[in-house]
Amino acid sequence: MIAILPVDHFLIMTLYALLVSAFFALLWREERRERWKLFGTLIGSLVLGGLAVAWLMYPFPK
Amino acid sequence: MSAEAAVRMRSPWLPMVLAWLVPGLGHFILGRRKTGIAFGAIVTLTFLAGISFQGRLYSVEAGQPLTILATFAVYGSGILNLAARALSDNPGGAILSTTYEYGCAYLLTAGLMNLLLVLDAWDLATGKKR
Repeated sequence: MIAILPVDHFLIMTLYALLVSAFFALLWREERRERWKLFGTLIGSLVLGGLAVAWLMYPFPK
Repeated sequence: MSAEAAVRMRSPWLPMVLAWLVPGLGHFILGRRKTGIAFGAIVTLTFLAGISFQGRLYSVEAGQPLTILATFAVYGSGILNLAARALSDNPGGAILSTTYEYGCAYLLTAGLMNLLLVLDAWDLATGKKR
């Protein structure tokens, strides 16, 4: 199974964001349209937020 | 069977226990079948990814109080955690692996997500959430 899963940090983070966003969209919203809306907001926030934090940490590699 | 009928027929403890044991099963028996299957798939995928990333199935360690919280979180995955511990050669994970920390995060998240499902099943079964 390891072979089919990514070892790239960005892809692992994106997979995590995907799973967590889908989970909370299903848990917190009842209607399909509202679920998709929350899913998009969450995954966008998590991925872009992660990239922003990574960019801010770039000058401090250790 | 409608969700309301399912709620009326069962004790709130049954869906709660089943929700912990098998991710998504609490919602499934409460009549939310598609949602239950989706929850089960998400929690199981998250847990299996954590195992594949060689994360750690935490156990309580003396002098390490945070392992109590981590153990509680991992045990939230119910039968997935119990089966993985029984089948794994190395439940402590592979700390030297580049994906070890990710694996731990995935395993902890899977357990915590399932604990949220347990609470949600309770709310559904008692009529606090419709």
